[in-house]
Amino acid sequence: MSWNRVAVVGGGLIRFGELFDQSYEQMAHGAFAAAVSSVDKGFDPHQVEAAIVATQRGTLWGQEGIGGNTVPSAIGLAGVPCTRVENACPSGSDAFRIGAMVVASGVHDVVLVIGVEKMRDKSTDEGLLSRAASGHPIYNRAETAPVLFAPFATRHMHEFGTTREMLASVAVKNHHNGTLDPYAHFQSEITVDQVLASPPVCHPLHLLDCCPQTDGAAAVILVNAERAREFTDKPVWVAGFGVATDHPYLHEKSTFTGLPVTTLAAERAYQMAGVGPNQIDMAEVHDCFTITEILDIEDLGFIEKGKGGVASLEGETAIGGRIPVNPSGGLLSKGHPIGATGVAQITECYWQLRGEVGERQVELRHGNALQHNVGGRGSGVSVVNILTTNNP
Amino acid sequence: MSQSNTPGPGVVSPVGLLGIGAAVPSGRLSVSDVAAGWGQRAGSGALAVCGPDEDCLTLAWSAAGAALDAAGVEAHEVGALYWGTARPPMAEGPSHAFLLAAIGLGSDVGGLLAGGSVHAGLDALVAAWDAVAAGAVGVALVVASDALVPGPGTGAEKSTGAGAVALVVSGPTGAPARLVARATRVRPLLDRYRGDGQAGTGDPYDPRLYRERELLPSVTSAVDALADRPPPETRWSVPDPDGRLGKAVAAAVGAKAVSSEGVFAQIGDAGSAAGLLGLLGALGGPGTACVVGTGGGRSTAVVIEVSAPVPGQQRAAAAIGGGDAGTRSLNYPSVLRSRGQLVPLSDPVPMGVPPGSAAFVRGSEELLGLLGRKCDSCGTVCVPPSIHPVCMNCGSPGGDIVQVARRGRVQTFVVNHTMPPPFEAPLPLAVVDLDDGTRIMLQGMPEDAAALEIGDRVHLELRRYAIERGVPVYGFKVQRDVHPGSGPNGNGTNGSGASVALAGRESS
Repeated sequence: MSWNRVAVVGGGLIRFGELFDQSYEQMAHGAFAAAVSSVDKGFDPHQVEAAIVATQRGTLWGQEGIGGNTVPSAIGLAGVPCTRVENACPSGSDAFRIGAMVVASGVHDVVLVIGVEKMRDKSTDEGLLSRAASGHPIYNRAETAPVLFAPFATRHMHEFGTTREMLASVAVKNHHNGTLDPYAHFQSEITVDQVLASPPVCHPLHLLDCCPQTDGAAAVILVNAERAREFTDKPVWVAGFGVATDHPYLHEKSTFTGLPVTTLAAERAYQMAGVGPNQIDMAEVHDCFTITEILDIEDLGFIEKGKGGVASLEGETAIGGRIPVNPSGGLLSKGHPIGATGVAQITECYWQLRGEVGERQVELRHGNALQHNVGGRGSGVSVVNILTTNNP
Repeated sequence: MSQSNTPGPGVVSPVGLLGIGAAVPSGRLSVSDVAAGWGQRAGSGALAVCGPDEDCLTLAWSAAGAALDAAGVEAHEVGALYWGTARPPMAEGPSHAFLLAAIGLGSDVGGLLAGGSVHAGLDALVAAWDAVAAGAVGVALVVASDALVPGPGTGAEKSTGAGAVALVVSGPTGAPARLVARATRVRPLLDRYRGDGQAGTGDPYDPRLYRERELLPSVTSAVDALADRPPPETRWSVPDPDGRLGKAVAAAVGAKAVSSEGVFAQIGDAGSAAGLLGLLGALGGPGTACVVGTGGGRSTAVVIEVSAPVPGQQRAAAAIGGGDAGTRSLNYPSVLRSRGQLVPLSDPVPMGVPPGSAAFVRGSEELLGLLGRKCDSCGTVCVPPSIHPVCMNCGSPGGDIVQVARRGRVQTFVVNHTMPPPFEAPLPLAVVDLDDGTRIMLQGMPEDAAALEIGDRVHLELRRYAIERGVPVYGFKVQRDVHPGSGPNGNGTNGSGASVALAGRESS
């Protein structure tokens, strides 16, 4: 493949949470400013040649007017070419992939990728119901977000003996990691017993098996690899990416013990990067629910199919484990402002590969980090991006 | 002069009754709960009442399926649907067309919706009789159903039940029962009443006045108008709108054997369905039966000669007692809420897809008929057709619209505890592998929330999903088979399904 190599030279985010006092535009500005100030050798905002903005929620959530024109104005760059990307829960990671392709194509050398999402401007009930009633008027009725993943938990437990304790261990680990991440929505430890005793949300998932509704924004700066040293002596390179789609509705799924769409996206990313799952030092994966992380670590090839629950319970995915997963706290603890989620995961991978996250730093053996999202009506799309410190 | 307006025996030829089915909601409302709510001394008994996802249309669907199954008649053989209900789910609107589509009858099927009073069930039966006798319709499906909404605090609230009954009517030759004679008499008097724009039904008259000056004279006038007095051993179904008047009516018409006795005690007054539900006890073996119905100032008596048990009779009679699934208690506030009489201060959050939208227009037939698109290359059934212009398995654009199977097995499921109104929590949702290989995902029944398991045998039931922006929205829900192979539309005839289910539970 003939494409210009791409480097990440800056990344930043705002503290995720229920940001009732910040507008969409203020969040975008905060994330952009954080990314700009993170660039080692300084960065003039006007060096941005183009921007890709990821915002997933549209017509149902009060962001009807949000488009490619909203963010440049908010961050002081009106005039810059900018396009909004929407691709379900992987919107942010797909915006990153598209930004990388813009740089790789040679059309632009410096591209901003920014994800912004307002999740809490509408009431929980209204958000829930909107979710439960969009799409086909019957075939997805009553499908709130946990309905899209809980059926996999039921079947995974049935087939592999996965237990609620195993699911809970994912939440416990990610909440612990979140206490080490100053940007995380939640900053408190929880116990397995607390997860088990939390109110049922969507059997077999309980409240602490679920990510919160979180506002947030994150941004990264991509440049042509040949110009990376203008900005930093410690660039991180884009090694590969993959996107895959599947039939979106749950009744169209071929299996309920995994998400083949993740495996397909990962295969494409691994092939492009020339690495395999055993050469990944850490991963930021889509843990909207505890079961999702268990599916992810199996579908990404880190853990044998069916063993994800046991592996989680035994600490294989902890920061000091064999394959650290979601050291940032993940969606479960850091939060899931949809368009911002993937971009924030990229930021964590960037910081981890540069070795600058303190207590939650993972051991770097191969210099590769993987970022993953999956989503859509019923996991109809997945995106995997792989970053590396190894020279392109 | 009035006699010349009413066809009597000899004017209309006899017609045959091929099968019967019934449906009664599983919910029961204690009369004493209602009385206590109004500071009155306790009443007694329980009334069959709809849950939030049931109404007279879903009951009608269930009874119709059972009747067709019992009669061994396929939906495509039905020429017309005659549905009687005092309160159709849409005061103006396509109630009849919705029921027709949900039963799976063709778009060329005629018939009518009879309404206006609880006499509507017999109006529907008479209309079907005329059409079949005249040769205009070969096989008619008659459905009588009601789930009336009594006004809060009215006497009617302590007697209003719910139920549905369906009959398959065709030519008389070889039929196990024949409708042989009838008479109708009309008196312009109020009885149970709901004015235009009024939400609930009430009783305008003093009970004694109603009994003496309206009910008894009206019913006896219809019976007296029959050309031949039914023989003494006739089994009678008589109106019993409050659980006590039935005895008075029976005495007034000289009924010795009353098949409707005890029905009120089990389900209350099922409105338009009451008379035909009361008839069930008379269809179990040879003899003469007479059903008398009254309402809206009209009374009708129909004489039926039974020569053999009418298929479906036993199962339909059992439905009155709760059927396979049994009954469950519903508290008074939840019933008021289901009836739209207890409403929250805040407006419900509107759904994302309004019933008036083009998406509903596109989805209406596939929603009510539960349709799929069967690929003509690989045979995969994709549901719903509107979102599958090509086969999701092989990409072929060719295929036929088919009705998917109505029974299957649970592949996986969830129980949603966090549903905002209008949904009811806990709400199961299940991915089901239907017996024709189609995979589908639908809401389940709240009463199955605790027991549902992977591998369970289930069947699909038409239910009212919600009333959105004033419009009822219907669709299918998954219900767990209590006994594998049973269920409203399986009728126990699917013996192979039962053995498959048991084997499946053991292996999984």
